Amino acid sequence: MSTIPTAGPGATPSVNKRRRKIDAVSIASFIALVATTFLMLLPLFFMVSTSLKSKKELLKFPPTFLPESWQWSNYREIFDTLNFGQMYMNSLIIGILTVVGTLFSSALAGYGFARYRGKGSNLWFMLMLSTMMLPYPAIMIPQFILFSKLNWIDTFLPLIVPAFFGSAYNIFLLRQFFSTLPDELFDAGRIDGCSEFRMWRQIALPLSGPALATVAIFAFIYSWNDLLTPVLYLSSSDKFTLPVGMSSFTSSRFRIPPWHLLMVASVLAMLPIVALFAIAQKRFVEGIVLTGIK
Amino acid sequence: MKTLRIKKSFTLLLATSMLVVLALSGCSGGKSAGDVVPGNDSDSAKSGASGGQVTITHYTIDSEDRTFIEKLVPDFEAKHPNIKVKVEKAPYEQFDSKLQTLIAGGKSPDVTSHYGYGGFAEYYNKDMLLDMNDIINEDGFKASDYSIPDDLMKIYTVKDHVYGIPVNMYVTLMLYNKDMFDADNVPYPPSDYEDKSWTFDKMVEDAKKMTHVSNDIAKTQYGVDFTWSERDMRPLYFGAEPYSQDTWTNGGVPSETYFTSPEVIAAYNKLFNLILKDKVSPTTEWSKSVAGQNGDAFVTGKVGMTVSGSWSLAGSNDFPFKVGVAAVPAGGNDKVRSVLFVDPLLILKGSKHPKEAFEWIKYLVSDEVQEKSIELSGGNPPVNTKAAETYYKHFDGIDPADVKKVYEGAVKYGFESYNHLITHYSQINDMFINEMQPIDTGHNTVEEVMPTIQQKVMEIIKR
Repeated sequence: MSTIPTAGPGATPSVNKRRRKIDAVSIASFIALVATTFLMLLPLFFMVSTSLKSKKELLKFPPTFLPESWQWSNYREIFDTLNFGQMYMNSLIIGILTVVGTLFSSALAGYGFARYRGKGSNLWFMLMLSTMMLPYPAIMIPQFILFSKLNWIDTFLPLIVPAFFGSAYNIFLLRQFFSTLPDELFDAGRIDGCSEFRMWRQIALPLSGPALATVAIFAFIYSWNDLLTPVLYLSSSDKFTLPVGMSSFTSSRFRIPPWHLLMVASVLAMLPIVALFAIAQKRFVEGIVLTGIK
Repeated sequence: MKTLRIKKSFTLLLATSMLVVLALSGCSGGKSAGDVVPGNDSDSAKSGASGGQVTITHYTIDSEDRTFIEKLVPDFEAKHPNIKVKVEKAPYEQFDSKLQTLIAGGKSPDVTSHYGYGGFAEYYNKDMLLDMNDIINEDGFKASDYSIPDDLMKIYTVKDHVYGIPVNMYVTLMLYNKDMFDADNVPYPPSDYEDKSWTFDKMVEDAKKMTHVSNDIAKTQYGVDFTWSERDMRPLYFGAEPYSQDTWTNGGVPSETYFTSPEVIAAYNKLFNLILKDKVSPTTEWSKSVAGQNGDAFVTGKVGMTVSGSWSLAGSNDFPFKVGVAAVPAGGNDKVRSVLFVDPLLILKGSKHPKEAFEWIKYLVSDEVQEKSIELSGGNPPVNTKAAETYYKHFDGIDPADVKKVYEGAVKYGFESYNHLITHYSQINDMFINEMQPIDTGHNTVEEVMPTIQQKVMEIIKR
């Protein structure tokens, strides 16, 4: 009776030991992950922190970690200094319509390339892909002349309409996705008397949630961050987009740029992208659950 | 039923998006540079362009110190009912590419300046500029009527043809941190260019007193940051000339350059010794780490004196220390101690209404508007000698008498900046920054680097 109670012979202590070992490893990796996350979030933290500093505090060295006095008024000032609300709206309108245009046209073209085989279809596909090799500055001037002849200068049209004509990268992405859909689905549709357009809309599109979400994110981010095209085509202040307004902040060669206000603008400009990611992420998961495609 | 509803909503979505696109195009007419818009009264509309309004465009940088001209437009339009002015703008980084695209696309602006990376000589050699001689003769324009000194008019005159009317004049000056001078009991430097005691060597002596290098980057401070204009211009300060004389008379194309001459090499060595031997100036890396996004270590209060463009004055109210202005010390060239940055107003060759564009330029350089512009722009220096008096008084905490002395001295001992006068300048400048980097970091000597620079400058010029 004086024996020390043990938890059975052999196996249990080694399991415990292993569990303890695993715990130690997972705790260490957890700590490493948290540390990396903090490191990754540091620039973001500085962005928010700088957005709440005063102009004088920006010049301090070493820089302060947290604002000495919290300038919440910076968030109001941005609307007085810049035509911020209007620029935000303009960027949103252009961004949303670009997404609509890109999704519609690229999905249609991608579907065509994936599901139909015709004479020279590969040649057309290569031709389309080769447009990706052309850098924007190479087509900048001819495109400007075209839109200028159409009298589209200083309108949103040159920024939106091209999206309705598809883009090579997105068409390629969607084509690859549509190719993975089983032929049986479409055969069944055909037997039921479904038209080709309806098969695209009612079979291919609903099964392509993740791919469409990816294209939507790419298209929106590209349009949201685009600077050169709006600079070229827009000349009235009330039509400027956010990147144009924000780069004007650092435009003066002669003044210290108002970094605090630029950071306010950056924080606010980040919001739609964050929201889009949140929504699209859900769509990703939904797509996987509904279709079972991984 | 369900499919029908989906079909309907899909068609609706498509139709709505197309409608929005169409509506957006409708909102914005599509008027562009050079359009002739009939006046309000219907008779003039019937008679076409005669008696109609003319729209000219002024293309500028989208920053407050440039777009202030928008506030001058209503007054100008009231005085010139037949001319409408549209201000088109672009951020600094995109200024050149937008201008090139506008010109290539047949939408050339009427009036602009060399506000981007490219300079006057580049525009001139690309044949972008209108020769103003005919308009000036017809109009009877005299620079003296607008208080523009004749010397400044000559800068943008090539072979007796005027291509630009000066509007703003920035000079090189020395800014100093009064708090730092006080802390180390160093007397303030003089603002008078005629003060013979104020030499480059005296500046180094003063800088040594204020230089305190410590292991703690936050406690380190340097006496002087002597970055005198663009890198290829710096030898001129010590009397060494890197470009042949014909550069200044033939539209900015030098027949020869002398970057490997002993004088030019000695000049560069003298400047780099501030960092490498005397150690009174910060290294580029130190400046970058201290200044962060602001790009200028002086602004953070860690440098005693800085030689810089007079545009730095405009931001001086925000500096976290007391500021003074001084003359650039004598460096060995008894004619040149300062760089002038004179910005002209140019009429582009593609302008459809050059006469109206000239009217607008005349308005912008008139006494009254030049004076008004100082306040509206937040401190742009005018070329107009009358308005200059108002400019000198514009800066809080800085004695107007000092600003005046520094300005007058800088003009007397000034030379127009190379970036306005030499062709392909943006490429030359980039090349200099890249090639001189190893000297900054101490990996190469001036003697080792200059032959490559000499060869590359000549290659760029011949393009």
